[in-house]
Amino acid sequence: MTAELTEAPPKRRDILAAVFRFQSLFGLVLVFLAAVVYSPSKNGELLFLDSGNLFNVVRSISEIGILAVGMTLVILIGGIDLSVGSVLGLASVGSAVLLVNNDLGVVPVVLAVLAIGLGFGLLQGVAVARFRIQAFIVTLAGMQIARGLARIWSGGQGITITYGDAPGQAPAVFSLLGERTFDGLVPIPALIFIVVAALAVLLLRVSSFSRHVYAIGGNEKAARLSGVPVNRVKVLVFGICGLLAALAGIVHAGQLNFGGPNDGAMYELDAIAAVVIGGTSLSGGRGSVVGTVAGALLVGVLRNILALNNVDSNVQLLIIGLVIVLAAGLQRLRPASVS
Amino acid sequence: MTRKSAIVLGACVLLAACGTTHENTGAAGPSSAAKCGGPSGSYTIGMSQANVAEPYRQRMDDDIRAAAAAVPQFKVNFADAAQDNSKQVEQVDNFLTQQIDLLIISPNEATPLTAPVKRAFDKGIPVLVLDRKVDGDAYTEFIGADNVDIGRQAGQYFANVLLPQGGKIAEIRGLAGSTPAKERGDGFAQGIQGHNVQIVATQDGDWLRDKGQQQADAILKAHPDIQAIYSQNDPMAEGARIAAQNAGRADLPITGIDGLPIEAGGIKAVEAGRLSATFVYPTGGKEAIDAAKKILLDCQPVPKTQTLGTQLVTKANAAQVYATLNEGK
Repeated sequence: MTAELTEAPPKRRDILAAVFRFQSLFGLVLVFLAAVVYSPSKNGELLFLDSGNLFNVVRSISEIGILAVGMTLVILIGGIDLSVGSVLGLASVGSAVLLVNNDLGVVPVVLAVLAIGLGFGLLQGVAVARFRIQAFIVTLAGMQIARGLARIWSGGQGITITYGDAPGQAPAVFSLLGERTFDGLVPIPALIFIVVAALAVLLLRVSSFSRHVYAIGGNEKAARLSGVPVNRVKVLVFGICGLLAALAGIVHAGQLNFGGPNDGAMYELDAIAAVVIGGTSLSGGRGSVVGTVAGALLVGVLRNILALNNVDSNVQLLIIGLVIVLAAGLQRLRPASVS
Repeated sequence: MTRKSAIVLGACVLLAACGTTHENTGAAGPSSAAKCGGPSGSYTIGMSQANVAEPYRQRMDDDIRAAAAAVPQFKVNFADAAQDNSKQVEQVDNFLTQQIDLLIISPNEATPLTAPVKRAFDKGIPVLVLDRKVDGDAYTEFIGADNVDIGRQAGQYFANVLLPQGGKIAEIRGLAGSTPAKERGDGFAQGIQGHNVQIVATQDGDWLRDKGQQQADAILKAHPDIQAIYSQNDPMAEGARIAAQNAGRADLPITGIDGLPIEAGGIKAVEAGRLSATFVYPTGGKEAIDAAKKILLDCQPVPKTQTLGTQLVTKANAAQVYATLNEGK
């Protein structure tokens, strides 16, 4: 084949590839523009574009966003993690108990809780990789186990975190998680989310780990045959996902000054929604963290503009459901050659 | 209202605003007068509900909607947090973006909602807290019933009416970790204290009918000698009734709490004889709109706390209580 003959089709395919690759970014821009158009205004000012409001949106998705970054990795290897919401609850309870009842400092508490999340994830990874139990089942069990642990550890009660130097009070620095920096504008959880997302993008750009993850998701058998340490990568991915769920739990506890044994329920589904809207294929091997971040933001902006217009909460559920279906539908339209 | 009376009222309001100081007027604390535009204004009220999956909370919204419909100056925006603290924080933030004139909130949990409620209050927006409290005192008025007291009255009903000679009973509790479950349990324990009523089985029914049935099934198997069941809400009590019937104990006395004045609610269940009694847990919806009227239209101060009383509902007064609670609907 000569160069002239093949020139035109690849170009079109490149554009198509870009559109599909960044479908959630395009979606986000569309939803954002629609939000500006439909924004209620007061005294000639568009309420949606108010900087305080825009940061409210980023803050509101930061926990789900952190979970969704971990979820993206798991889904990229063709897995799923249903336990993240419960692990978030466990981590929020753990943070509160260790700070309040055990009177530990912030650094040991954060390290301990992160270790719990990492350990929980690694165990699930071992069950999936070594014992070949489906991820859906392993993490379904993990979801119940983490929730049970959260309820037992908290004694079934939500634990209030108060700040000060007295025994039973947490160091004030932990309450920073609920605050805003840069002139009281940028919420700390949003910053943490941005850092997590950036690290994940980096991880998936530069390392051989990235190639392994995509290879396993694309074709596990082929990956194994070509020397990818499949089991090790799988265990590690579940570990990272658990670690991030624990981090989200710490953020959750700090933001709300509260460790709730029932908190984080259904967050796993919100995280999966962000990943799917972000264009990551549930069968693995295709997708990106950037897409997930855009997906999470898209849902946040959508929810925000619907709330500002007082759309009934049940109708909001309906609309967000339709967006998920639309995103998944676009996936099916994607030509096989475009990845 | 005629134009003349409106002018007179407006003048009175103006005079009152100039001549009096509110108790919460201060350098830091916002004044309800700051938001008060009198009866000629129009006001947007934000109502943040912990969740509308429970019929009790749906009824609270309905009570607010019905009471606000009678006030042409009021427009109420409703939000549902679906039992999620984070989501409710987000909703309050959204209301602040919308620049509402008054916030009504029934918090999912106290502590997590304290900061956003304070943010609203510090901006000079009057805040009415319904049913569940927030920490501190950065709110305008708390309106709610006393779960401990209702539990206590339920306990006393067991001790004095159902089992005056004493006996063994089972308790089906709400969702573990929720404040009302603890309070309704603590109050009940106080109510039966010193009497020979003994709780031989306690299980969590998560406030749900099917879970209540499931737990009662097991309890009746393990303790066939129990003489009554105390359920912390009506739906679990209804579930327990089905379990009792299946176990051949159709006459087992079962009581609930909530007493919702709706077709599927506890009052009708008492009237039909499925429950021995229930205790009305008022929603405070109507009272909240009354308070909003006082603050926004009349520029009057409101008390910091308004505790709503409960009411024992038995077969004898069920029909009458039902009618009273649905007056004007």
